[in-house]
Amino acid sequence: MTTAAAAPFGSPAAGAPAGAAGGAPAVAASARQVTKAYGTGETRVTALDAVDVDIARGRFTAIMGPSGSGKSTLMHCLAGLDSVTSGRILIGDTEITGLKDRQLTRLRRDKIGFIFQAFNLLPTLNALENITLPMDIAGRRPDRAWLDQVVETVGLADRLRHRPAQLSGGQQQRVAVARALASRPEIIFGDEPTGNLDSRAGAEVLTFLRRSVDELGQTIVMVTHDPVAAGYADRVLFLADGRIVDEMADPTADAVLERMLRFSGADAPAAGARPAPAPDALRKGADDRTAG
Amino acid sequence: MMLRTSLRNLLAHKGRVALSLVAVVLSVSFVSGTLVFADTATATFDRLFASTAADVSVSPKGAGSDDDRQYGGARAATLPDSVVRRVAAQPGVRSAAGDVSVQDATVVDPATGKAIGPTGGAPTIAGNWYETPNPALRITSGRVPHGPGEAVLDADTAGKAGLGTGDALRVVTPFGDHRLTISGVATFTTTNPGAALVFFDTPTAQRYLLGRTGVFTSVAAYGDGSRSDDRVKAEVTAELGPSYTVRTAAESAAQAKVGVGGFLDFMKYAMLGFAGISLLVGAFLIVNTFSMLVAQRTREIGLLRAVGGSRAQVNRSVLAEALLLGLLGSTLGLAAGLGLAVGLVRLIGSLGMHLDASELSVRGYVPAVAYAIGVVVTVLAAWLPARRASRISPMAALRDHGTPAEPSAHRVRAAVGLVLTAAGAAALAGAAASHGGAAGGSLLGLGVVLTLVGFVVAGPLLAAGVVRVLGAALPALFGPAGTLAQRNALRNPRRTGATAAALMIGLALVTGASVVTSSMVSSASSQIDRSVGADYVVRSASGALPPQVVRAVTGTSGLDHVSRQKQVPATVTTPDGRSTETGVNAVSPTYARDLRVPAASGDFGAALTRGISVDQGFADAHRLKVGDPLKVAFRGGATETLPVAAVTADDSELYKGQLFVGLAVAERALPADRLPLDVMLLAAAAPGADTGKVYADLQKSLADYPQVQVKDQADYKALIRKQVDQLLSMVYGLLGLAIVVAVLGVVNTLALSVVERTREIGLLRALGLSRRQLRRMVRLESVVIAVFGAVLGTGLGLAWGTAAQRVLESQGLDLLTVPVGTIAAVFAGAALVGLLAALGPAFRASRMNVLAAIATD
Ligand SMILES: Nc1ncnc2c1ncn2[C@@H]1O[C@H](COP(=O)(O)OP(=O)(O)OP(=O)(O)O)[C@@H](O)[C@H]1O
Ligand SMILES: [Mg+2]
Repeated sequence: MTTAAAAPFGSPAAGAPAGAAGGAPAVAASARQVTKAYGTGETRVTALDAVDVDIARGRFTAIMGPSGSGKSTLMHCLAGLDSVTSGRILIGDTEITGLKDRQLTRLRRDKIGFIFQAFNLLPTLNALENITLPMDIAGRRPDRAWLDQVVETVGLADRLRHRPAQLSGGQQQRVAVARALASRPEIIFGDEPTGNLDSRAGAEVLTFLRRSVDELGQTIVMVTHDPVAAGYADRVLFLADGRIVDEMADPTADAVLERMLRFSGADAPAAGARPAPAPDALRKGADDRTAG
Repeated sequence: MMLRTSLRNLLAHKGRVALSLVAVVLSVSFVSGTLVFADTATATFDRLFASTAADVSVSPKGAGSDDDRQYGGARAATLPDSVVRRVAAQPGVRSAAGDVSVQDATVVDPATGKAIGPTGGAPTIAGNWYETPNPALRITSGRVPHGPGEAVLDADTAGKAGLGTGDALRVVTPFGDHRLTISGVATFTTTNPGAALVFFDTPTAQRYLLGRTGVFTSVAAYGDGSRSDDRVKAEVTAELGPSYTVRTAAESAAQAKVGVGGFLDFMKYAMLGFAGISLLVGAFLIVNTFSMLVAQRTREIGLLRAVGGSRAQVNRSVLAEALLLGLLGSTLGLAAGLGLAVGLVRLIGSLGMHLDASELSVRGYVPAVAYAIGVVVTVLAAWLPARRASRISPMAALRDHGTPAEPSAHRVRAAVGLVLTAAGAAALAGAAASHGGAAGGSLLGLGVVLTLVGFVVAGPLLAAGVVRVLGAALPALFGPAGTLAQRNALRNPRRTGATAAALMIGLALVTGASVVTSSMVSSASSQIDRSVGADYVVRSASGALPPQVVRAVTGTSGLDHVSRQKQVPATVTTPDGRSTETGVNAVSPTYARDLRVPAASGDFGAALTRGISVDQGFADAHRLKVGDPLKVAFRGGATETLPVAAVTADDSELYKGQLFVGLAVAERALPADRLPLDVMLLAAAAPGADTGKVYADLQKSLADYPQVQVKDQADYKALIRKQVDQLLSMVYGLLGLAIVVAVLGVVNTLALSVVERTREIGLLRALGLSRRQLRRMVRLESVVIAVFGAVLGTGLGLAWGTAAQRVLESQGLDLLTVPVGTIAAVFAGAALVGLLAALGPAFRASRMNVLAAIATD
């Protein structure tokens, strides 16, 4: 990645990044009074509680919060992967709450990119095929020049014919990033995209995401537990108990860490009272600590 | 402890093992059902024959032997009524009755003009009604027959024909057409073996059936209990001398069983054979299921190993699961088998053979066989996956790949598969080259087994190659769903190979059978074209043509000539001193024009006016040449010495192995009442006559004899085709079981694959693959697997069929015909099977919740 970093990122020929030019609204996605509840009666869990949020276009937004606070749920709802109990979600100008499965599928296909924490790639396809998969599904031809550039930048040019099983975890994750970028979606969602990587590989991926925002105006939303990762973002949203409890602009790792310590100290009893599965919370808690 | 774990595992995966269970249940039920049915039938007939046989019966020597029955038209041998009196006078004999029983009568319903009675192989038996201590039938309506105008019909036949007491009946016998009234209906006291029975009073039966009074076909004697049947038999034999056969009740029952038993045995072994095939196919399904279950549990097993579980423990736990599955499957299969047996009893009942379903004979060995088969096959099939499971390293617990990539087929396997296939191909080639030599059959069998095993072993390898070719067009045709389907079918060649192999077995047999049968039809047609000069062929369903039929044909106008053919059992003694029991054809001199029999030496036509013709095979075996004298002892008549006048070719089933003499020779050698009836008439239209009109006239002349059929050449060929097709559809029906099991296998593989790929499917959906595209992906994979199975199956089947045709070439199968239509249908059917098999799994995949799929651990 260090070599790749030297490569010119967005040559003028690559064209104007989606949404960076004027005219498009400044908000890429937004949630209005979004509530998401699982189960009914006794076992009812409110994962999101009347959340209002705007994801700024062309910015890198991080979502943080204790385990079980609803980060993944929020992201899934914003991305049209999950339905909301009440409230509205908009991607650009389009309200997606109430869309049918078919329309949601199209929306994900054409406007949204994903990077998951693990199992991002189809084992039967090689790296290149995985990268172009969303465009293949849509029946679109990839923009050759752009594709080459993305591949070049993620430093995978010599690994394109390899199957995921032949790639390291970091390499796999970079393929996932390349896939998310290759189709130039309006917005990319990542759920702990660097959670499985060591700090060096994680840094490579994050640097890359950062530059795609800076140089291409790509919109990115990333869930993370890692203050260092959050430090790459333009803005951090803090979630607790399904509510946005704080946010921080132009964060640094130290500021985020400090904020989190303060935050977890104040909110620990509340978090403990939630019916989140105990082992999971413990595990994430441990992650939080090691990440710090 | 281990048992509990196994049980829990099975229950946890009950959906996934369900189809394997179905396969075991199907196969076991087929085997046990067949056995129970066969036992029930045998028991029923044992009871019938044992309860109805006379204590001692006497018949003329040679009468009713199997030897005679194989030649059509044989006349019933008779004994004078004095024999009845002599038997009755024997010490220890309480009563003796003369029995008349013949099988050359036809019963016709005058209202419809149609023959009534069994249409299958069972005979129509006509005889005299007399009282015995243990009658096989009892009059259940009306009364016993009296005088020349009355007959009693059995209840099953009457019921089927819708006839009852008081209705009119026509009985056609070699001694004339007789119009009668049904005086009563008789019902079997035990079971009806499927024959139609008609009875007259004794004098009527003698006149109608034997042509004169005072003679019987056998004597039924009943003891007074003072001495054993064997003793009575010995004394009766001493009294009557060597020209009579005397049998005790036990011997008669054993004799009667031979006929029915042969049919039942054939049915039993055919069904067991097909059950075996479906069992084999089921084994593939089980192997696949367990492989996939093991693959899915790789991490779990790795964890078990990491915390100290031994290899043997892992191995045992998988085998214990198989054992449980086998036991469960066998139990259900056994129960289903009883149901199947009842169904078979009903089925055969509808064909006229009435067995009592309430008296199912379930012998102890049946459950034993059922459990042995179910458990052994299941455990054996699970053995490979179990061994693989035990080899999983503790490291597997730590690895995180969606599905463990199975190692691609290794070289040893490839080599073994290749060697086996090559050896099998060599055996098939050897069989083809043997030209019907003795080794041909066994080489063919060996080749079939070796190529089959070879294909199964090399299946994964072939999968990699063939599926790549088959799937090459998919991406272009179906976009990303096509690409994904192709990759999925290729990702696990072992699984694809095993799934397709299951289908391959059934389809190979279908293809092989259809190659052989279509070759049969085309060979027979071409032989008819080549050899049959006659315009019309007249034959009877019962095998014999009574004289009035011959007169009706001869009397039809527009015919040039009618050639008659009889088959006379005879003992032929050749100059080398050896004697051969055979049927000699006695035919009209014009026969040589109706059947063109090429002669290697001599002249066939000449043989029909003087001397005898033998075929090449017979001539070679006895070193005969034209002019050599043969001693021909006609059964029941004189011995004639006849010179060989022609050595005929043996290139056609129509005359291969046949000996011919002129009709006059038989008429000279045999008394009129021992001369067999004609078995076939060949007729030619007069020159210039309208063959269509003559055909219609012939049909009109024969309208009174519904059992007799006249065919022109085209219809005759159609008849052969129809008979062969009937045979083929039976084979297809039985192979259907194996194919059903194979389809279950495809469903199973897909269903398990879909479960296995839950996360992938979630990912694809998240990335925007629509439900439709997803369903298409699963469907295409399924179709590729099925078509791959069809490619292997038709390939093997063509090779088998071709080799079989070559082996049977000398037995009349001289033309190889590849049934293109059938093969096309096999492919279309396979694609359809693929589509159908994918219905459930595709639906399931498309309904998967995107998030749940991603979240799956
Ligand atoms: N399918 C579900 N059914 C019931 N409850 C759920 C479901 N998914 C999530 N939850 C609950 O919703 C709450 C929010 O879950 P969410 O996965 O969004 O947390 P998170 O912030 O992503 O946590 P983590 O950091 O551990 O990933 C939790 O209390 C969780 O138990
Ligand atoms: Mg989460």
